[in-house]
Amino acid sequence: MSPDPRGFLRLAGTATAPQEGASGAFEGEWLAPWLRVRRKIEGAGYGTAIEAGFRRAGSACARIVGPEPAIDMGDYLSAITIKAGRRAGAAFCTAAPLVAARLDGPRFRSWMSLMQRFAAMAPDCVLPVLERTEALLERVTLSGFEAWLLGGVRLAGADRERRLAFFRLETPDAAKLLEREAGETGFFDVERRMRAYLGALYGLRVPVREAPPDRHDGARRRAGFAGGLLRMPPSFPGFSGDQALALYRAALAHIGAHMTYGAAPFPLGQLKPMQIAVVSLIEDARVEALAMRALPGLARLWLPFHIAQASGAMTAPSLFARLSRALIDRDFEDIDGWVRKGRDMFHAVGDRLEDPAISRAIGNILGNDLGQMRVQFNAKTYAPQPPYRDDNAGLWAPAEDTPPEEDDAVAVEGVRLRQAPDETPERQRPDGPQAAAGRARASVARDVGLPVARYSEYDYQAARDRPDWTTVVEHPPALGDVRFAARVLERHADLAQKIASLVRAVRVGRPQRLRRQAEGETLDLDAAIDAHAALRAGQMPDPMVFQSMARRNRDLAVLVLLDVSQSTTDPVDGGGRVIDLERDAVVMLAEAMVGMGDPFAIAAFNSNGREEVRYTRIKRFCDPPGPQIGSALAGVAPGYSTRLGAALRHAGAELRVQPSFRRLILLVSDGEPADVDCPDPRYLVEDARRAVQALSLAGIDVFCVGLGLSNAEQQARIFGSRGFIQIADITALARKLPALYLRLTR
Amino acid sequence: MDLDQYRIEAEPFYHATGGEVAQFAAAYAARLPVMLKGPTGCGKTRFIEHMAWRLGRPLVTVACHEDMTASDLVGRYLLEPSGTVWSDGPLSQAVRHGGLCYLDEIVEARQDTTVVIHALTDDRRVLPLEKKGELVHAHPDFQLVISYNPGYQSVLKDLKESTKQRFCALDFGYPDPTVETEIVAAEARIDAATAHRLVQIAQRSRNLRGQGLSEGASTRMLIHAGALMREGISLSEACDIAVILPITDDPDMRDALTHAVAACA
Repeated sequence: MSPDPRGFLRLAGTATAPQEGASGAFEGEWLAPWLRVRRKIEGAGYGTAIEAGFRRAGSACARIVGPEPAIDMGDYLSAITIKAGRRAGAAFCTAAPLVAARLDGPRFRSWMSLMQRFAAMAPDCVLPVLERTEALLERVTLSGFEAWLLGGVRLAGADRERRLAFFRLETPDAAKLLEREAGETGFFDVERRMRAYLGALYGLRVPVREAPPDRHDGARRRAGFAGGLLRMPPSFPGFSGDQALALYRAALAHIGAHMTYGAAPFPLGQLKPMQIAVVSLIEDARVEALAMRALPGLARLWLPFHIAQASGAMTAPSLFARLSRALIDRDFEDIDGWVRKGRDMFHAVGDRLEDPAISRAIGNILGNDLGQMRVQFNAKTYAPQPPYRDDNAGLWAPAEDTPPEEDDAVAVEGVRLRQAPDETPERQRPDGPQAAAGRARASVARDVGLPVARYSEYDYQAARDRPDWTTVVEHPPALGDVRFAARVLERHADLAQKIASLVRAVRVGRPQRLRRQAEGETLDLDAAIDAHAALRAGQMPDPMVFQSMARRNRDLAVLVLLDVSQSTTDPVDGGGRVIDLERDAVVMLAEAMVGMGDPFAIAAFNSNGREEVRYTRIKRFCDPPGPQIGSALAGVAPGYSTRLGAALRHAGAELRVQPSFRRLILLVSDGEPADVDCPDPRYLVEDARRAVQALSLAGIDVFCVGLGLSNAEQQARIFGSRGFIQIADITALARKLPALYLRLTR
Repeated sequence: MDLDQYRIEAEPFYHATGGEVAQFAAAYAARLPVMLKGPTGCGKTRFIEHMAWRLGRPLVTVACHEDMTASDLVGRYLLEPSGTVWSDGPLSQAVRHGGLCYLDEIVEARQDTTVVIHALTDDRRVLPLEKKGELVHAHPDFQLVISYNPGYQSVLKDLKESTKQRFCALDFGYPDPTVETEIVAAEARIDAATAHRLVQIAQRSRNLRGQGLSEGASTRMLIHAGALMREGISLSEACDIAVILPITDDPDMRDALTHAVAACA
């Protein structure tokens, strides 16, 4: 039976009547504009729910942030309702007073304007976001909230279902991004130092895994260990900054104590859940006591987390927390008999502390006592206190039917790695912005690649790096004509000769001391003495008695990065396609580089969205020169788009490990960065600029050879005004590229 | 010229951790060349000083470095007003006058340098001075000792097989915690409890060997830390400046070590 709509209206009306208009929220000069905007909303026909909602929200907000923003709310409400629908509009009215209670006037206005922009970007997601607004703003600031919204929109690209799932907080990405914006330090951001801490304390080398997202709640809230694996929750909600770090350390120190001082898992037997919990609690205290015997400073780490008070309800969680504290904190006095009994029994064991059997013995007695005291225990909601304690699963031999932990974790990792290629086909729907991208993808058949690395990407709008944003997928080079290089060299025989003579003329490198020279800055003492000795002995002295500093060795590693996006298949005026001319030029360049004896590598890249930045190593640094380079070059299949920043970062990672004094990425590209999931042309430009800057900080120079008359202003923005050159006549590329290389590396 | 300046007058403190004193004495009695292996700061140099004192022999120590040539060891002609004069290098001096010659971190020297010791380390016991055209027969008391840290050898810096096989080797590690505590307490002149704590801290850092640290804290570092504490620096500060900061530049490792130090005390 549905309630009478008119009755509901009347009810709503009476309930809100005292809050309306004249009741103090809008006085004097504000009353008229308020009534005007109300009439406007009522006249727009959004329905009674929104009208009533606006009346309520308007006066509520006016009381908190003042009448002006509350009146402006009307316009925002209209815009949102038009874009995102009536339910979103109603949700906006519900959320507004809650938000107003958190923010001041100007920021409340920014929030409204943000929601309006968001409604334009992702209308279907406005409702779920508004429903969660209060919870979200509890964790992040307004600017963090904005960054999270933009991040979600960007992350999902054109995939609407994924976007909706993100804003419903159903994807791990959403939680992770929120965590970052909230400034909460996730465990896996500091994993390396934490593992080192565990290793230093106990000499343990245990693999640490993130608790899989589909695990029951307890495993996500508490750390755990089993089967030689350590499981950590990605973060502990409510702990941030140094507190979170201390909690991670406390958790690791605790589990390390189990692994060092604990015995084989206890058999479950016929124990009741409450007994299991008590035995685990005693065992926790036992291993901690042993660990503190060896490492007394651990007490300072653990004690601050024991905050249970001596008074409180006689419930199991409260009693357990108090007993935990009583066992570790000698200054803690509890009035409760059960807690005192536990403490006295534990402290009475003296030197039998090494014996794990005492945990069973004491735990059983205390568990039985609790049973007689009729204390209720809910195993489903119980989580050991304080939060650094593990979930106790590792203390007990697993029942037969639970799968071993390791498989579980490995399976999760596997899924995570496979995610990228698996999801791509779903997104190839021929609607919306995808249709335009279809052009760029049509020509290449899908082939297998291996996701090898993830890189961050810079979002200039949010002014921050988005970690692990792009996935680089490496493809093995497809082999083409083996005689390709030889034929190119034949065609450009005169050019090959010219390059050879240029190569002979060029020298770079770092200064080196040259001894026994015919001339130089200073005397080489050893040589002078030898010469003098020879003179005295009546022999002919060696005249080479000087030493000097000189740059003799070239010490340069070059990575040639080829843009092989779809646009390189465009024909060139002088004949052939851009890609053909690129290949010829690279063959000639390789010839020059082999001649110089420089270590070099060649790679080609294109991209298909952020999950698939395709990267092919045509020649690695360790490969010897030979016809296979030409063959791999001939096998390069152009297609897809240009996600420049990710490719540069990956190339930088390859180049970084080269021991050379100078390291250079020579990029050959015909266009500007673009990708199917980036409608904003500036986004990838700014990201590429960021990547170039980061590489430069790492001592890697990037130089771009722009083919055709590409956008010079944009290239100057990415590479710096002296970091690029434009070659208008692409047919001359084979001649210019090697000469340019030699000039550049002089 | 003799080796008086190289004699060791007072007994250098050395706490034996095994049979190394008797073993070395036996090797010396048979005039066998000895190689001391072990991580830096575990007491190799102190041991050889102690043995030189115990055996009553002068000790000529040469710290080898990358640019060291054979003539830095055996000697060279110098220019003097009267003409050129041959000047013996440290090795030649020890060979002529009968001392212990200790080549510290021999792998650091250029490979050609190590070859000049070959004729000295087999039964010939001679040192050819090529430039001078002289063959020096070793004094009966001469013995060659080298140190060799297998920790940071690379493919480029390893002893040649032909060099390695001429030596007896004594392996030095960090001493047992109890012995190390005694050593630290005695050397830094601090009480045993503090020394024990420092040794525990060192063990924490040695746990990280190969996991981000190439070497854990050495006994020498602990003695430094102890000396700082004797001057009134607190334990955590002393560990910071004498152990953690010198040992690594990696912020993650520093963080882990700092908190491990906190857990020890």
